[in-house]
Amino acid sequence: MTLRTLVIAGFCALVGLVWIIESGAADVFLEAARPDFQKIPLAIAGIENLGGTESPEGRVKLGSRIEEVLKTDVRRSLVFALVDVNGLGMKSGQLGAEPDPSFKHAVENGVSVVVWGRAGIKSGNKDADVNMDGYVYDAGNNEVVGGKRYVGSTSVVRLMAHRFADELVFRYTGEPGIARTKIAYVSELGSARELFLMDYDGYDPRQLTADGFLNLMPRWSPDRRYLVFTTYRNRNTQDIDLLELASGKRWTLVSQGGLNITPALSPDGNFLAYSSSSEGNAELYRMDTHTKAVQRLTTNAGGDLSPSWAPSGRELAFTSDRNGGPQVFLISSDGSNVRRLTFEGDYNAAPAWSPRGNWIAYVCRTPRKEYKLCLITPDGQKRVQLTTGPGVDDSPSWSPDGRHIVFSSTADGKSHIYMINTDGKDLERITFTGTHNSAPSWSPAS
Amino acid sequence: MKTLAVTPLPVILGVLLLLSPACSKKAVQSGGDTRALQEEMARGGAKGGTSSSFPDTSFSGKDDANGLRGIDRSPLEERLGNGGHNGSGTVNPNTTLMAKSDPGAATRQLAEIRAEQTASAAAGLRDVFFAYDSFSITDEGRHALSNDAEWIKSNAQVQLKIEGHCDERGTSAYNLVLGEKRAKAVRNYLVELGVVPQHLSVVSYGKERPFCTEHGEQCYSMNRRGHLVVKVGK
Repeated sequence: MTLRTLVIAGFCALVGLVWIIESGAADVFLEAARPDFQKIPLAIAGIENLGGTESPEGRVKLGSRIEEVLKTDVRRSLVFALVDVNGLGMKSGQLGAEPDPSFKHAVENGVSVVVWGRAGIKSGNKDADVNMDGYVYDAGNNEVVGGKRYVGSTSVVRLMAHRFADELVFRYTGEPGIARTKIAYVSELGSARELFLMDYDGYDPRQLTADGFLNLMPRWSPDRRYLVFTTYRNRNTQDIDLLELASGKRWTLVSQGGLNITPALSPDGNFLAYSSSSEGNAELYRMDTHTKAVQRLTTNAGGDLSPSWAPSGRELAFTSDRNGGPQVFLISSDGSNVRRLTFEGDYNAAPAWSPRGNWIAYVCRTPRKEYKLCLITPDGQKRVQLTTGPGVDDSPSWSPDGRHIVFSSTADGKSHIYMINTDGKDLERITFTGTHNSAPSWSPAS
Repeated sequence: MKTLAVTPLPVILGVLLLLSPACSKKAVQSGGDTRALQEEMARGGAKGGTSSSFPDTSFSGKDDANGLRGIDRSPLEERLGNGGHNGSGTVNPNTTLMAKSDPGAATRQLAEIRAEQTASAAAGLRDVFFAYDSFSITDEGRHALSNDAEWIKSNAQVQLKIEGHCDERGTSAYNLVLGEKRAKAVRNYLVELGVVPQHLSVVSYGKERPFCTEHGEQCYSMNRRGHLVVKVGK
């Protein structure tokens, strides 16, 4: 049995543990809801500065920046519990490639993993590369189990931290981590709405389209190379387009009269589900992306929209107002076996099936007519309200590890993008510029 | 077994592993997500008639290490930021290009929107307002539309666009459906009044092009609207 297999097995048992607890206690509803003892206590002793700042005029030293980003990534991973290193007596500047005597004290204080490193520009040349070395000490082995060495320009220092964080998560869970994931979203430019892309932590926003009108509701392809979205041609008709991120190229997938909205590629990328009113009212359709054959999935007098694929690809959740107000329904991917999932409240919409398959997030209207996020199991047995307070919450989208949800909210006035854990903790706003940021879509993990 | 022997947590987890049926299944499949996906694709994946009109979006699920190379005792230097995929399938933002757009498109759109506004104002067309959650035309709306219908009938060369709009409450997606219902309700009533359907088109903007951006009922009621526009351009 390799170490990795053991680690995976251990993580698996962790999931099993939560599963066992879940079945016994109704108030413990999510795998991330367990207290910190499940998390691996990890101490970041420090990333020593080797020289150089983030930008020529900037004051933040490169090592300090990497340390800050790494800490945030590690905290958000929800795999590790970040231990306060104050009082543990570890000095990052004195740590080398061998276990330090100070680690003993740290281990006695419950630390399982110690991480440290150094980063910066060694030479005086401002165009020189940034180097980063990172080390990992594992208390179980009582040795430095290894490290990482990164090199690149100052524009990739955040990426160095993200990549190191993902390596840590990968080593201890066998999963890739989310620190290098991206969020596609819509932002306002004048009266137009264009597609944008940013890092999962809200940094480095990039504009992707410049059509001058409306581009709405982007969704990722499973290989992260493309976005599908609704675009208004000549302001009067809606098409569904495919955008290749690496080249900026665009293709039109659906072009017909009426609404053509809420496209979503299946987990295997072989089908595009979407809603179209080209034959009357909004119905769900499924296009085979290879043959371009289109199959209609729903037939009724109500509006059907917002398809979200189960990770198995065998079912979809969607919104339908066939019974009056919008409610969340489930349907098999061949159009059979339609059944209503939500019954509480008169407005439930925008379902998003979790990547682990065990929850569906959606927008629920509360008795006080607030639009908040709710979670429900696909069997309808458990339902919880995730967000509270003022503001319209919309467009929930899961992180690929299933531990976070990103969504838009007007809680602070203008629409911005927020992140929350699936246990309702750690609500964080991640966009701070722009007048209208909406429709976030979290990328798959590479 | 070194790791297990020293840290107590994995020991407990290891015992639980044996007890948990869901988990033993997952352990067997570890690293097998790729396989499962490939099987899935083989089952559903008759790939005849592939057209080249847009690229292949199917996902092979390969590279289950996701570009990560692992924490290594003697790590090789990894250069980040070169090329579009920095070795991981990760989109490198530095090489992400803006979608090719017609540089004049935004300017032309704006000019056409202004021309439409001018033409619609000159025609004296009146909009229709809706109640919260509703796409029923009120008495006031019927009154406005009978005026509009007269003007449209006496200007038979004009093409009219009916825009459906919503207030900011509710989801973006469902408001597009509600906006279309509002626009179609307006169209249907105009047709009842004798307007030729071929002169009318509908489009829903949901809550994406509000007339008023404040929060509050006064603004919301302005935005729940069927907006009649004299079409200019295509």
